[in-house]
Amino acid sequence: MQENKKKKVLLVGNPNVGKSTVFNTLCNKKQKTGNYAGVTVASYSGHYSYKDEEVEVVDLPGSYSIYPSSEDEAIFSKFLIDEQQNYAGVVYILEALSLKRGLLLFQQIQDLGIPLILVVNQIDQAQRRGIDIDIQQFSNALNIKIIQTNAKEQIGIDQIREAVFNNDFKKTEKTSFEIPNEHKDFIAKIVAHKGLDSDYEAWMSISSGVELSKIESVHDILNSPDAKSLVPKRLQVQETVRRYQNVDKILANVITKKPQFKELLTEKLDKVLVHKFWGYVIFMLILLIIFQSVFFLAEYPMNWIESFFSWLSAFTGEHLPEGPVNSLVSNGIIPGLGGIMVFAPQIGILLYFLYLLEDSGYMARVIFLMDRFLRPFGLNGKSIVPLVSGTACAIPAVISTRNIENVKERLLTILVTPFMTCSARLPVYSIIIGLVISDKSFLGIKYKALVLMGMYLLGFLVALFSAAILKRFIKDKGKTYLVMDLPTYKKPLFGYDFKMVLGKVWDFITGAGKIIFIVSIIIWFLSYFGPAQKTNQMVATDVKLDHSYLAKMGKAIEPAIAPLGYDWKMGVGIITSFVAREVFVGTMSTLYSLSDDAPEVKVIDKMRHDVKPNGEKVFNFATGISILLFYAFAMQCVSTLAVVYRETKSLKWTGFQVVMMTGLAYFVSMFIYQILK
Amino acid sequence: MYKKQALKEKDLHKLSGFPKNKMGKILGYDNDHLKMPNKIIEMGLLPETVFRILYQAPFSGPMYVEFGDEKSRIALREEEGDYIIVQEWD
Repeated sequence: MQENKKKKVLLVGNPNVGKSTVFNTLCNKKQKTGNYAGVTVASYSGHYSYKDEEVEVVDLPGSYSIYPSSEDEAIFSKFLIDEQQNYAGVVYILEALSLKRGLLLFQQIQDLGIPLILVVNQIDQAQRRGIDIDIQQFSNALNIKIIQTNAKEQIGIDQIREAVFNNDFKKTEKTSFEIPNEHKDFIAKIVAHKGLDSDYEAWMSISSGVELSKIESVHDILNSPDAKSLVPKRLQVQETVRRYQNVDKILANVITKKPQFKELLTEKLDKVLVHKFWGYVIFMLILLIIFQSVFFLAEYPMNWIESFFSWLSAFTGEHLPEGPVNSLVSNGIIPGLGGIMVFAPQIGILLYFLYLLEDSGYMARVIFLMDRFLRPFGLNGKSIVPLVSGTACAIPAVISTRNIENVKERLLTILVTPFMTCSARLPVYSIIIGLVISDKSFLGIKYKALVLMGMYLLGFLVALFSAAILKRFIKDKGKTYLVMDLPTYKKPLFGYDFKMVLGKVWDFITGAGKIIFIVSIIIWFLSYFGPAQKTNQMVATDVKLDHSYLAKMGKAIEPAIAPLGYDWKMGVGIITSFVAREVFVGTMSTLYSLSDDAPEVKVIDKMRHDVKPNGEKVFNFATGISILLFYAFAMQCVSTLAVVYRETKSLKWTGFQVVMMTGLAYFVSMFIYQILK
Repeated sequence: MYKKQALKEKDLHKLSGFPKNKMGKILGYDNDHLKMPNKIIEMGLLPETVFRILYQAPFSGPMYVEFGDEKSRIALREEEGDYIIVQEWD
């Protein structure tokens, strides 16, 4: 029997070749985001066991070439090369409909001496188009084990497992790319000097900027007189063209075609979906459907969650023994947690739609449609994906900028994406709009709905215009371009995407939950205790809210926030919100549950009737609008900042983002409040 | 980049100026200064490749090009199309 040691294999291929379908059907065990060597690979690792062997599968981001042109691809190349000792081999996925393009990267990996198994996916699709692939011939030509799959129908998956089990990974003996004559001597010198395994490894290291652990010091070689005439980019072009010539030769014997082409679904759909007029109408409709579902479909589960938490709060209030613990649990922790759980359904629905759009191939069309309109703002068509995802959460949105090749466009996108109305703002907006906007309707549409829509629009516009301003201050590095594959439309993986969404929502609940849990406890403590009122006390316990430490802190910052129209409670809300925006709602619930003059009254009603010392309502129209704008603009999310820092690797830009956003928030809110009051 | 656009006339010998829905063939590249993104070649827009421009997004937006035996589809901007020298194919 095999030893129960884990075998690691990598799943590699071009983007959009059905890699995630293969991954999903292959790994029937737990899947998780992988963290490797300090970088979070934007990919997943999953597991399966076959004949008593445990196998870990790492799904690397798709790439077209070993030479990276974006952050995504750089992560890919580095992992593939640096981690070579740690994996058994690469399972390379080719799509039967685009063998030619896929073989470029395949041959590069093969020439690096990495052991491979080749999987040709979606053979059925090729056959439907009248393409016959001679697999035997193909396998001989590449000298490799080939497995045919139709991952969607689960066909061929067990053959992959069997091949991995048998270690059918094969290294090549002769490289498919021959070093051009004029460079042979120089390459030989490097190989000898650095003790490399292959000529190609040396070639690759000088024609790319990727630093390999083995050849870290290529720079001194590049500075030698022999190397002066070498232009890395020219070498890459030379290699790519030669490889494609080679691929053409191979494929000429492998592909036998029948004359007639059947019109594919993709061709039919694109007549409408990228249409000059209808394309945009459909995109708007899709956005509308998504947001409709986010608000109306989510209402039901949100109500259940809400009632559950208020029941739980009442239940613990009744059944726990009277005293501080009772107050902490039923007035602090439970309302705090409830405030955040309640909008998990909205995040889930939004993310699910985004995954489906991405998966189906439609996102690429959106990029195609939007590129021209985003360019004047210094953004790329690809920025539309982070911007739209930003309406769910800025964290995955910032990570999704990795496929933007141009450094400046990527930085700009990262800087402005947090302006998009993320779901964490939603509970704040809902509660404030509920408080200060009237219940009346205009042409059958509620004012409340209009204001909420307006907030979404505002976020988008501010993101665009701040990009237009910022682009003047960011240095241009490299050329901007858009060269993007338009994949065939595929039926999205409804089940797989659903699983992913559940995972993300769970991450959100536990992540935010932890913070809110701690914050609620701190708030409760600060509100339960206060400065001593009698001389023989250290601190006063069970004080009235107005006399607590919390009130003291809130009141201390009151002068700074008074021009914006906020009282000390909102001040506390804003302070705690710098951890995450949604904490505002938890804080408010906690604060207003604590002022227990009438415990049976709903928090929202307490807020509605709360008055300032001068008799003015705390939540009136002017303060309401002011606070809406503050939350629209201010950078109040520690997790996003952490991700921005990780992605930009720049304290300067991360700091700039905080100051820019929060400064804007402060001045806009103050301006509006002073006008409206 | 934008300055150039105003003066630019449609050049039939560049992909950027090639008429829509006509078959064309790539002859080579106008890439003396190595400014062309390598991705163009990596994606398979190689000399001798037969192509057809199917759509273009409004206001001189990106072009939607179908090419090669495998009928791959790619989106690229007019600026990228400027690097690619083409001719009619019959």
